[in-house]
Amino acid sequence: MKFKEHWVAYLFLSPWVLFFLVFLMYPFFLSFQNSFLDINVLNPENTRFVGLGNWITVVSDGKFWLSLFNVLFNQIIFITLSFVVALLAALMLNEIEFMASLFRTILFVPVITSITVAMIIFDFLVSPVGPIQENLQSIGMLAAPVFWKFEQWLPMPMIALFSAWKWFGVQMIIFLGGIASINKSLYEAADLDGASWWRKVTKITLPMIKPQIIFVLTINIINGLQMFVEVFMNFDLQGGPYNSALTPVLHLYQTGFEQMKMGEASTIGLLLAVIIFVLTTLQMKITAKGD
Amino acid sequence: MIKNRKQQWLIYGGLIAASVMVLYPFFFMIMNSFKTGSEIMHAPNAMPQEWSFRGYIEVFKAIDLFRIFGNTIFVASAITFLNCLLSSMVAFAIVKTNMPGREFWLKMILSSMMIPGILFTIPVYMMMYDWGWINTFRALIIPGSISAYNIFLLVQFMKQIDNAYLEAARIDGAGEFRIFFKIVLPMLRPALATVGILTFMNAWNDFMGPLLYIRDDSMLTLQLALFKFQTNVPGGNLEQLWAMTTMIAVPVVFVFFFMQKNFIKAFTGVGVK
Repeated sequence: MKFKEHWVAYLFLSPWVLFFLVFLMYPFFLSFQNSFLDINVLNPENTRFVGLGNWITVVSDGKFWLSLFNVLFNQIIFITLSFVVALLAALMLNEIEFMASLFRTILFVPVITSITVAMIIFDFLVSPVGPIQENLQSIGMLAAPVFWKFEQWLPMPMIALFSAWKWFGVQMIIFLGGIASINKSLYEAADLDGASWWRKVTKITLPMIKPQIIFVLTINIINGLQMFVEVFMNFDLQGGPYNSALTPVLHLYQTGFEQMKMGEASTIGLLLAVIIFVLTTLQMKITAKGD
Repeated sequence: MIKNRKQQWLIYGGLIAASVMVLYPFFFMIMNSFKTGSEIMHAPNAMPQEWSFRGYIEVFKAIDLFRIFGNTIFVASAITFLNCLLSSMVAFAIVKTNMPGREFWLKMILSSMMIPGILFTIPVYMMMYDWGWINTFRALIIPGSISAYNIFLLVQFMKQIDNAYLEAARIDGAGEFRIFFKIVLPMLRPALATVGILTFMNAWNDFMGPLLYIRDDSMLTLQLALFKFQTNVPGGNLEQLWAMTTMIAVPVVFVFFFMQKNFIKAFTGVGVK
């Protein structure tokens, strides 16, 4: 391939270079710089250098750690639930041919629905006067309506339940892709040995789709730590009862846009980015070792 | 493959049960949109007693829904168009030219995907504030006009295009622009459909962007408008709320059923080796 002049190539690359400089590099340095400053957007002339002040405030403020605890609590429930459902759905879809694509499409519908729409529906379904609680009461499984938004330990599990309904489809599709690429002769050999379905799943399918499983876990953690709309829709900026629905991003939003402390908010963002980055790198290291 | 008849029935039973659980909330949404406000409150389980279209009529009176739909279509289309064009230009430069440092640029693009978006919320907001971009559509469109993930997907697709086509065109004296627009872009059409659908859906469903940058009611996009409508008068505008929710959700689901192959391709782009 001969291509005498590179200028066209550079021209074609330039959108990325511009984007990188303006929307990745510059804000990165800005947020680094901000984390040492005390800034109020409304009166920027009062900006002053506070050194590690913001970092000390954020780290010593229990709210940051509480918000991390909340998302991790949420993610443990969400990941377990959605993983099991997605894997089961993928295994079932893999066994059938007739109408497989229809079922796959239906199970994927929540993924394409916006969080706003899905949350309004979910909110109605599980509300104290909603259909689910009414049914549970009429068959005697629930004594009194549960006001989950006012209980300290319910918001995160409820949101995890919602997220599992909304997102299991993505994981299911990724698992299906993994299962499809497994060499069929492995199963034939297992069949000759008279292996049971369960044994084939645990000894062949699961080990073979390990890359997909690790990918899904990584994506979940990255997204989970950045949860915002779900809690904002339900609790506005309040963070739920006893701050039990406060997520790091909500904490950042409160600090930056309610209290107008942009420096401190930048620090929260930077700290969270570092945590996510470390977790992702760790995940990748583990995957690389396995291969 | 399970050959046993009984087990097949069990699997279909499981899948039907799962489908019902997935679709049940949408069924409620549509039912509620045809109920009157008091029925939604007091008979959450029942079907509509009398089919009421009041919610649909009232919501158009309460807010400028045409405008909000128009805003969202405009913003999402602009983002999608720019992404398809700019991301495929970058992918072309990386895959189909002999520009020096192509490996380096690709590595850089891929590693930029590892930076969590949360880091940019505050600094980009401050940049927009300084530039006077708050309350403009520019603030939504420009930062979303190109994405590392889309470049990555298009690089994968572009590798499959045979270089012989490009060689032949070059021998015929076609310039790189001509080659890109007349040969590569048309051949990328299926890939662009996949990238475009994913981008459009993300822009259509975006909540955080409008929440940060849009102030005027006349510039609201669907997701933020729905949120504001929900918090406006809690319980006071139930019929309208459900009519609006249905009108926002149903078109997306409808489009999805027709183009599900592209959606699913877009989601399997990464993670599967």
